[in-house]
Amino acid sequence: MGQAMVDPLVLRRWFYRLLLPLIATVFLFFHLLPLRVGAAQWPAPDLLVVFAFAWVMRRPEYVPVVLVAVLVVIHDMLFLRPPGVWAALSVIGLEFLRARAGAARDLPFWVEWAQVTGVLVAMTLGNRLILALFMVERAGLGLSLLQLMMSIAAYPLVVFLSVNLLGVRRIGPGEIDRIRTRS
Amino acid sequence: MDRNINDTYIRPVRRLLVGLVVLVLMGLFILWRIDSPRVEQFRAALVDRIVPSFEWALVPVTRVAGMVEGFQSYNRIYEQNQELRRELRQMQAWKEAALQLEQKNARLLSLNNVRLDPKLTHVTGVVLADSGSPFRQSVLLNVGERDGIKDGWATMDGIGLVGRISGVGRTTSRVILLTDSNSRIPVTIQPSGQRAMLSGDNTAAPPLEFVENPELIRPGDRVVTSGDGGLFPADLLVGQVVLGPDRRSRVALAADYGRLSYLRVLRSHATETVDDPGSLIAPIPPALPLGPVLPLADGLLLPVTNGAGDG
Repeated sequence: MGQAMVDPLVLRRWFYRLLLPLIATVFLFFHLLPLRVGAAQWPAPDLLVVFAFAWVMRRPEYVPVVLVAVLVVIHDMLFLRPPGVWAALSVIGLEFLRARAGAARDLPFWVEWAQVTGVLVAMTLGNRLILALFMVERAGLGLSLLQLMMSIAAYPLVVFLSVNLLGVRRIGPGEIDRIRTRS
Repeated sequence: MDRNINDTYIRPVRRLLVGLVVLVLMGLFILWRIDSPRVEQFRAALVDRIVPSFEWALVPVTRVAGMVEGFQSYNRIYEQNQELRRELRQMQAWKEAALQLEQKNARLLSLNNVRLDPKLTHVTGVVLADSGSPFRQSVLLNVGERDGIKDGWATMDGIGLVGRISGVGRTTSRVILLTDSNSRIPVTIQPSGQRAMLSGDNTAAPPLEFVENPELIRPGDRVVTSGDGGLFPADLLVGQVVLGPDRRSRVALAADYGRLSYLRVLRSHATETVDDPGSLIAPIPPALPLGPVLPLADGLLLPVTNGAGDG
């Protein structure tokens, strides 16, 4: 009987797995709004990737690889980027952070921020390198760096929002036992 | 116990999955690099599927933003009023000049019996979404393949050239704006008549490149399309020359990029090409009959026939 009922933990997990596409859609929606045609001079931070990173550092099970890959590819397609490159780099960055999420649990926030910054910088450089290798026309270096800065600056904000508003927190010591006994 | 299972089974499977995902994504990129048109077609189809599903929400939000903007402008209504009065006075002078010019133009046109190009018809579309970013300047229109739109056609608002169609879905199409860094348009600068290339660089006023004689260009000169390359019709208004802060000649676009809503897509027809050089200079000589020919005194050639030889 216990197996047939929906476990609240599983329910919670699927709730967050659906929340990420929702965030991606809202971001896409605001991006598509025809409010500032041609006027946009400041690139928006890549909020989808920032959200995915912030969550993977807290609850790795909320951000499955395939989900993030599909969402970023859709963004690649709609934002006219070369399809696949940014998505592949995002997946690699995500897995890199996932492997370190457990160890980062006891470290202060600025260490986590530095890790994420490092990954984002590596992704941006890797993106430019791959595009250069395949001789694809690239946007200006300044613009890419500006977007990188925006993403890095957005990270603490996104973390604050995720923790306090959306409730994506690290597993506390008590919670681990609860999960263990359930599974 | 839990951790042991994790280490021996789940982790290698995960690693395999991640590797597979990355491989598929890079494969997609390489496919795009090799067979770009097919992937771009897929992209257009995806945009075609996703963007119209946002339309129900896009329209009210855009309208509310417009209302907010309108409300803000009420605050400046006094200044605006004064400004408008000033402008109106100036405009009246211009109107007088325009009326005189129009009459003159009508007289001259009727004298010449000129007909503007009858092949230039257009399809009007509404801007559905701005899918641009600082990296890519483009808008989506709600007309597509269904309405006969083709890649490469010119797009104008009421006044000036806006961009060209690039990417056509069934019901949507994408317009790459002149300000996009991929946009290159051959233009003519009037009145000096010089040819140049208008190449977008993601700023509001794209620079002119490859100008033969930069000294002949003055700020305020009109820039129109030249029709070189046969893609665009000639003489569509693009804007006027301004001097940028970096001392380069740039073009202030005539189209109102701040509020693109209704755009006209001009149907372009393939221009006729000249492929036989000889027939333009002189008619092709008729095929000569067989037999020896005799030169006559006045340079004509006559075939020798039986009994007709006058020796």
